[in-house]
Amino acid sequence: MRQRGTVWRALLATALAVALGACAAPQAERLTQDRGTLPAQAKVEDVPFFAQERLYCGPASMAMVLAWSGVEVTQESVAPAVYTPGREGSLPADMAAAPRRYGRLAVPVATLNDVLAELAAGHPVVVFQNLGLSWLPRWHYAVATGYDLDTSEIILHSAMIQDHRTPLSKFEHTWRRGNYWALTVLPPDRLPARAEPLAVLRGASGLERVGDHKAAAAAYAAALRRWPDNLGAAIGLGNARYAMGDRLGAEAAFLAAATLHPEAPAAWNNLAHVLAESGERRAAIRAAEEAVRRGGESSATYRATLDEVSRGTN
Amino acid sequence: MFRKLCRFIALPLAVVMFLISAPITMVANAALVTTDSLISSMSAQQDRDKVLNFFSREDVSSQFRSLGLTPDEARSRVQAMSDEEVRQIAGKLDQIPAGQDALGFIAFIIILALLVLAVTDLAGITDVYPFIHPMK
Repeated sequence: MRQRGTVWRALLATALAVALGACAAPQAERLTQDRGTLPAQAKVEDVPFFAQERLYCGPASMAMVLAWSGVEVTQESVAPAVYTPGREGSLPADMAAAPRRYGRLAVPVATLNDVLAELAAGHPVVVFQNLGLSWLPRWHYAVATGYDLDTSEIILHSAMIQDHRTPLSKFEHTWRRGNYWALTVLPPDRLPARAEPLAVLRGASGLERVGDHKAAAAAYAAALRRWPDNLGAAIGLGNARYAMGDRLGAEAAFLAAATLHPEAPAAWNNLAHVLAESGERRAAIRAAEEAVRRGGESSATYRATLDEVSRGTN
Repeated sequence: MFRKLCRFIALPLAVVMFLISAPITMVANAALVTTDSLISSMSAQQDRDKVLNFFSREDVSSQFRSLGLTPDEARSRVQAMSDEEVRQIAGKLDQIPAGQDALGFIAFIIILALLVLAVTDLAGITDVYPFIHPMK
């Protein structure tokens, strides 16, 4: 009997700990204790507000950030790209992919601190919330437009309310239930304040994938300005220029990539192709040989390149 | 008799199989390396580094030791994992908020260890979970 009581007490304690743990808003708490380099307040003033139509929190939020970034859109015109009628809502994956179709750079934002940093840099952020409970979800998209750390509030264009102020801790709860999903949508030559190079490169290569090579090139160039020795950005810039028919520009980018990263076979491989197309056969062969020598995983591709430039079939 | 027959057909069979498989494995297109493929190999490397760095932390190694797993063994397991498996673990690492309490941390480590074992079970290296069958 006594033993059973102990077991129950332990179970109760565990349940309580779990419940309390679920109530804490650790990111908001940390921010109010230590704001780091963040200014006390920030507000992105020029984000237009579109009061959402029924079920259109996704399209409305997307339209607001796209319009802020300089694209002329309405929630109705964005809806076909993000809204899924059968689900009566917009899926996060579609929201992340849609900006590409408008030539905009979309990059995920991972933490509350980073969301505020984007706002401080003047970038609105689309956020995904679950306003209900985990087992009874009510999904919602909104656009964060500002914050105030003195009052511990975040400011949102949400549903029908413009500049809705809500406590940071409450926002963290609903945002956590939305799996901490947040996205900045920017003109392609403008980078998020805090993002990691790889996150930016993924956004830029998304632009390549939809065939917007001009926007992709702008994003890669911006990435190179911030991270001058980034291999992915240099090769991406070359690829985007090549796709636009700018062979000389591509050659310059690949040459820069190979010079900065002589250990990277991809840079030599791509350089070999553009050199061969410019009729620089000997230089092309040297570059292709370098790619084969540096080898690595896809060395079959590099050998094929060497064969091709040596034969001069290009 | 059977052995003889086997020996008799083994060589022609090997030649046929080589001819069948060769066009698949040997055809490589001479092409530009796309940014997409470059980025995915870069992020795979970053994930692997992240997991290995995590395993090198003193508090983590001691957790592993208390679970009867040497840090070296844990590292070799990570090296043996595919990019996708490493990505899953790296994704778990991203979910630990900084400054989490010890209890949550230990629970996480145990989950991680179980995950490692599930993965090695799948690979047929271990057989901890009878319900997981190695991939053939």
